[in-house]
Amino acid sequence: MPSVEYRGMNLVIPENDSEWREHFKLARGHRLMLRACTECRLMRYPPSHGCPWCASLDWTWQPVGGGGHIYSYEIVAHAIQPGFKEWTPYAVVLVELDEQRGQPTEHEGLRIIANLVTPDFRPEREDNVAIGKRVRVIFQDLNDDFALPQFTLTDEPPVGRVWQLPG
Amino acid sequence: MGSLKDKYCIVGVGETEYSRQSRRSTRAMAVEAIKRAMADAGLGGDGVDGMMSYQGGDSTPGNWVSADLGLRLNFYMDIMGGGSSTEALIGLAMGAIEAGMCQTVAIFRSMNGYSDFRIGGTGARAAQPVRGLDLAQVPFGMRSAGQSFAPTFMRHMYEYGTTSAQVAHVRAAHSKHASQNPKALLKERVTVDDVLGSRWIVKPLHLLDCCVETDNATSVIVTSAERARDLKKKPVYIMGVAGRVNKPRTDFHWAHGPISRVAGYHAKDIVFGQAGITPEDVDVTGSYDAFTFTTMLQLEEYGFCKKGEGGQYVSSGIIELGGRRPNNTSGSHLCEGYTHGMSMVIENVRQLRGQVDDYCPGGADGQHSYDYAKGKCRQVKNARITMNLGWAMPATGSALILHN
Repeated sequence: MPSVEYRGMNLVIPENDSEWREHFKLARGHRLMLRACTECRLMRYPPSHGCPWCASLDWTWQPVGGGGHIYSYEIVAHAIQPGFKEWTPYAVVLVELDEQRGQPTEHEGLRIIANLVTPDFRPEREDNVAIGKRVRVIFQDLNDDFALPQFTLTDEPPVGRVWQLPG
Repeated sequence: MGSLKDKYCIVGVGETEYSRQSRRSTRAMAVEAIKRAMADAGLGGDGVDGMMSYQGGDSTPGNWVSADLGLRLNFYMDIMGGGSSTEALIGLAMGAIEAGMCQTVAIFRSMNGYSDFRIGGTGARAAQPVRGLDLAQVPFGMRSAGQSFAPTFMRHMYEYGTTSAQVAHVRAAHSKHASQNPKALLKERVTVDDVLGSRWIVKPLHLLDCCVETDNATSVIVTSAERARDLKKKPVYIMGVAGRVNKPRTDFHWAHGPISRVAGYHAKDIVFGQAGITPEDVDVTGSYDAFTFTTMLQLEEYGFCKKGEGGQYVSSGIIELGGRRPNNTSGSHLCEGYTHGMSMVIENVRQLRGQVDDYCPGGADGQHSYDYAKGKCRQVKNARITMNLGWAMPATGSALILHN
C-alpha cells in the first residue's frame, strides 16, 4: 500500500483514497489546488466528496495563490510524536488563505493546518510567530508522489492586528 | 412526541480507584465499577438488562463484562467515543428504555489511560499509521488533544483578551476541591502562580493546564422514574439532555468560525429547552476540564456569563466551593483523575443526594460541615439542580441537567 515515512510516522495514502491521493500528488508538483464545487463554485479544504454548502457531488481541482495569513497558532514545546522531539519548539499554524475569505458567511474561510517553517524547512523562530502575519505556501517533498504544503513568512504587511501570546 | 423531562433517573453510580498503575484489565475494572453502581442502586443480578459503553479501541465490550456480572442482557451497545459520550449515552439509554428494548441500563467507561493506552497520545497512539482525515493535522505534529485544541484557546485570547492567569484559576479551584476528595489522585492545592510557572506543553498550555492521565472505570445506571422509586437511593431526575451536538464542518471545524465558538452554542437551546430552566437556576456545574480553558469556553457558551467573559467568570471565585456556582466539585479531570467525563456526572449525582464522599465523618449519611478548608467538606448546601457540560472537542459537546 502506498505510504511514506516522515518523522517516524507512517503516512498511508492507498490507491482508493479518493480524497487525499491527488491532493498530495498535486503538492508534489508544487501546486496548491483545492476542490471547487462546479454547482455553487465555492472551494473547500480538506478535500471532500460533497460540497459542504450545496451538497453537490460534482467538483474540480482549482488552483489558489498560496498566500494567506496566520489565523491562529500554537507552539509545541513537548512533542508527542518521537520524530518531532528534535524539532521542538515548533509552530503549528492555522493559515487563512486569501481566496474566499468571509464566504459564504462572515466567519468562514479556506483554512489549512501546517507548520510555519523557514525556506529550508526548519521550524520558524518562536519570536516570529504571530496572528495576522503574512505567509506563503512552500512544498516539502517527501517522495516522488507526495509533498507536504507548508508555510513560510513573507515581508508583506499583516492582515489586521498582529498578536502574539504574551510572555 | 411528549417531553421525557423527569421520566428517567440516574439510580446508581460507581467507580474503581483512580490510579496510574491498575495492574489489571479494562474488563476487570469495568466489572468492579458496574458492581458498585448496582450495589449503590440496590439492584441485584437480574436488575440490569441493558449495557452501553464508549471507548476508542482501548477497552472491553459490554457483552464480555456482563458475563462476569451474571447478567443476561436484552440490549447492549459499545460505541466509539470519548469526552461528552456519557451524557449522550444517558440520552440513548432513555431512548432504549422508552422503545421497550430493555428496562435498566448500566453505562460504563473503562480505560488504562496511563499505564496502557495513554490518553495524552504518546506510546501506542503516537505509533498508529496516519490516514484519512488525520492527514490534515497529524503530519504537522498536531496529534494529541492538547495540540488539537490549543489554537481555539489562542484565538479566544486574541479576540477577547482572555489570559493564561484567568484560566489558571480553574486549576486552582479544582485542586481545592480535590483536596477534599479522598479518592483524588492529586490532592495538593496549587496556586495560579504554580500553573503559570509549570513547564510549557503546547503554548498557550502549561503542564498544569492539562488533566491527569489515569487508569479507572466508571459507571452510572439509568432507569425509568417509576422503577427508580422502588430502589435504594433517592432518585436523581433527568430534566434535559443534549448528545454530541456539533458545529458545522465537524470534518475540519477550523473552516467554520468563529473558531472560539464551541458546540455549546448549538446545544444550549436543546438542553435548557427540555429542562425549562435558565443558567441562573443551576446550583452546580460540571464543565469538562480536559484543560483549564475547556471549562471556561463551555461555561460562557452555555450562558453562565456573556460570550467572551469566560476568563472573568472562572477567575471571580464563582466556580469554587463556597462560591455562587461551584464547578467540578470532585477536582475532576485536572486533579481527581481522567475518566472521559463519567466522573463529572457521578459527582453531580452525589451532590444532589447530599452524599458526596468527602472527609465529613457522616458524609455518606448526608451530614456535612460545609467547611471548605483543606481536607474537609465538599458538599454544596441545598444543591437542587446540576448541569454537566461535556466536551469532545471544540466542535462537539453534550449536556445534561439533573435535579433531586
